[in-house]
Amino acid sequence: MIQVEALTKLYGEFVAVNELGFEVKPGEVMGLVGPNGAGKTTTLRCLSGIIPPTRGSIHICGHDLAQDPIAAKQELAFFSDEPRLFDYLTVEQHLAFVARIYQVKDYEPVADQLLEELEIASKRTALPGELSRGMKQKLAIACGLLHAPKVIYFDEPLTGLDPIGIRRMKDSILKRASEGTAIIISSHLLHLVEEICSHILILKDGRKIAHGTLAEISQQFAAQSGETNLEEVFFRATSEAGKQSE
Amino acid sequence: MISALFYLQYHSIKNRTVMRIKRLKQPKYLVGGIVGGLYFYWYFFRTFFGTPRGGRAFTLMPSPTDAALYESIGALVLLVILLMAWIIPHQRAALAFTEAEVAFLFPAPIGRRGLIHFKLLRSQTAILITALLLTLVTGGFRGNGWIHTAGWWIFFSILNLHFLGSSFARTMLLDRGITNWQRRLGILALLLLMAGVVVVWARQTMPAFDVSRLKNPDDIKAYAQQVLTAGPALYLLYPLRLVVRPFLAQNALAFFYALGPALLVLLLHYWWVVRSNVAFEEASVEASKKLAEKVAAVRSGNWQAAQKQPKRKRSPFKLHPVGPPAVALLWKNLISAGQAYSLRIWVSLAVFAVCATIGIGQVSGSSGVRPALGMIAAMLMAWSLLIGTQFLRQDFRQDLPLADILKTYPLRSWQLALGELLAPAAALTGIQWFLLILVLGLLWQPAAARLGWQSWLGLGFGAALVIPLLDMITLQIPNAAALLFPAWFQAAKGGGAGIEVTGQRLIFMLGQMLVFVVALIPAAALFAGVFFLVKLLLGTATAIPLASIAAAIVLAVEAAFGVVLLGWLFERYDVSAETAG
Repeated sequence: MIQVEALTKLYGEFVAVNELGFEVKPGEVMGLVGPNGAGKTTTLRCLSGIIPPTRGSIHICGHDLAQDPIAAKQELAFFSDEPRLFDYLTVEQHLAFVARIYQVKDYEPVADQLLEELEIASKRTALPGELSRGMKQKLAIACGLLHAPKVIYFDEPLTGLDPIGIRRMKDSILKRASEGTAIIISSHLLHLVEEICSHILILKDGRKIAHGTLAEISQQFAAQSGETNLEEVFFRATSEAGKQSE
Repeated sequence: MISALFYLQYHSIKNRTVMRIKRLKQPKYLVGGIVGGLYFYWYFFRTFFGTPRGGRAFTLMPSPTDAALYESIGALVLLVILLMAWIIPHQRAALAFTEAEVAFLFPAPIGRRGLIHFKLLRSQTAILITALLLTLVTGGFRGNGWIHTAGWWIFFSILNLHFLGSSFARTMLLDRGITNWQRRLGILALLLLMAGVVVVWARQTMPAFDVSRLKNPDDIKAYAQQVLTAGPALYLLYPLRLVVRPFLAQNALAFFYALGPALLVLLLHYWWVVRSNVAFEEASVEASKKLAEKVAAVRSGNWQAAQKQPKRKRSPFKLHPVGPPAVALLWKNLISAGQAYSLRIWVSLAVFAVCATIGIGQVSGSSGVRPALGMIAAMLMAWSLLIGTQFLRQDFRQDLPLADILKTYPLRSWQLALGELLAPAAALTGIQWFLLILVLGLLWQPAAARLGWQSWLGLGFGAALVIPLLDMITLQIPNAAALLFPAWFQAAKGGGAGIEVTGQRLIFMLGQMLVFVVALIPAAALFAGVFFLVKLLLGTATAIPLASIAAAIVLAVEAAFGVVLLGWLFERYDVSAETAG
């Protein structure tokens, strides 16, 4: 579903992402973790076609994002940490707009179902300014899911959500994965990653320092202590990488 | 406590100035600073340094009776401004603080009076700058220029204190159960009473008012002099006359003579403000939050969001889920533009334009009203071609803060560019076609007599054909500038202030004019070539539309090339680089 090879992003001489390679298969949920400035958001932005990579290749459902961006983008959805909406479009106008952009024929029943599922059906005629942060997040999700993407990226999906919203978001992510969607989640919340991700990729200074299932990474970094806690593994992995780079 | 507030104010101004000077190291600010500096020197400071401009400086050397009249008129203007402060507002008193000031000052051991002093102290910076700028505009510092500066300072300081005091008084009235409408009615009743007293006095002591006797401006002036400088108006406006008197003083002696009473009014206002015991904190916190949201919107380039909370708007047409995706952007941006830009409105306007030209023709007959109106419509049309793009910004300029979202859409970059340009182009074209109908109708008689009606209609057809293409081209210029120089562009929209930002705006406007002229040259050349060739063979009436079609083809090619180029620029627009910077 998602194939990344030697992905590199430079800003001048600064290397934001360095020779990154991984694969996410249908139904897998990959957690992208790392300290601040590790290159998580840059990676997600490259993967969604927002910024062009300096080198490397990205394939989405077999489509090369650089060579065939339209087909690749048709298959993906990207949810940023802050819901990004048009101030002057109502909830239903957002959905009509997105349907035309993605050419979703007969979108109305799908939109209705999504609005019901996300519990914002009563806000159809509301503008984003009239919605709470959680509601805005739900609208952004409804817009992103309207074209039934096969690949979804989440950047800090739990930011600003209340406990009920957090539970629903986790359930929603797992439900999409069980339906065969390939998902990447970038987050600092290690307990979230541990709870819902089947695979984990740890980044530091733009480089991949660990990749695999939690059990595989634990084996690699916590063998001596026998710890299987992601937090412990994360600190070990990032500090070891720090020592190596020193 | 006040010393801490002085410290904050002093260092805020100092650091802001240092930051402005430091940023001149960046070419965009340096070039802007040079151009802005030259502009200010040319228009304002040249006179200050003793090189007189061609025009006469604004000076008042009135006779004593005229001086009394000017003083009364000034007082009347001030009365209107003050009345607005009592009638229009409906909110509770709120002092404008930044969020940082709220966070630091409100929990600090500073009383309300301290906060008011801070607010007054801060407003003095703006008042002083305004007084200096207005002095420059109204004749500079030659001769008695300093009197104008001091006069403006007194005027604005009192105005500022009065606005603050009136906001406190309004809040006190609300707290005592007097609603906004009751207050407004009370003030209007008082105003009517005052006006009634003046009218009754005028009727009893002056000859009956007769409009037919007011034949020239001097008659009107004499009448106004009689009403305003004698009787009750003289006394009713007295405190306000004291405020404007220093500004109108003709020499230093007169100024110092007027200064004492004006300062007394200022002190009374100060006493009123600091003695008012009104809770403004809660409303101020809310106001500071709104201010912060506006600032954030401006800084992110979302100028529209900073202006006002958007309202729910109807869709201009039904958007079907399948079809050219660029239409979705047109649809979205037309919603943003507002209800006025729907097909129904445009058809109604076209019908109105036709009826209006016929109606005006019948009413005005052979007088010059009809062609004069036609010329005004033509000038508005030309003006809208050059400046209209600055008013209709429902394109990349509006959507740039959401560029990352646009980039995730499965659209070719040229499709995005086309979609973004369509809404303002359609709206501008609608306005210009409406004006074109007016021009064609109102100038029909002289133009048809001179050119023949066929040629006149041909010109109308040609103009209607090229107008949307010209709009597409002119819109590409500010959009390309926004994508190429986002930092410059955002500053040019009002995100900053200062000489360097004025310079950036000037550079931007000149660049736009230059590109527009260059884009027109090939189309104009082809128009001329085809026109003269066809005119020789088939006559003027056929030559004009054919030449227009040829010009339109060139403009269409230029517009299409521009759309592709704009798309390419958007593709290269690095969202992370811009947001990081």
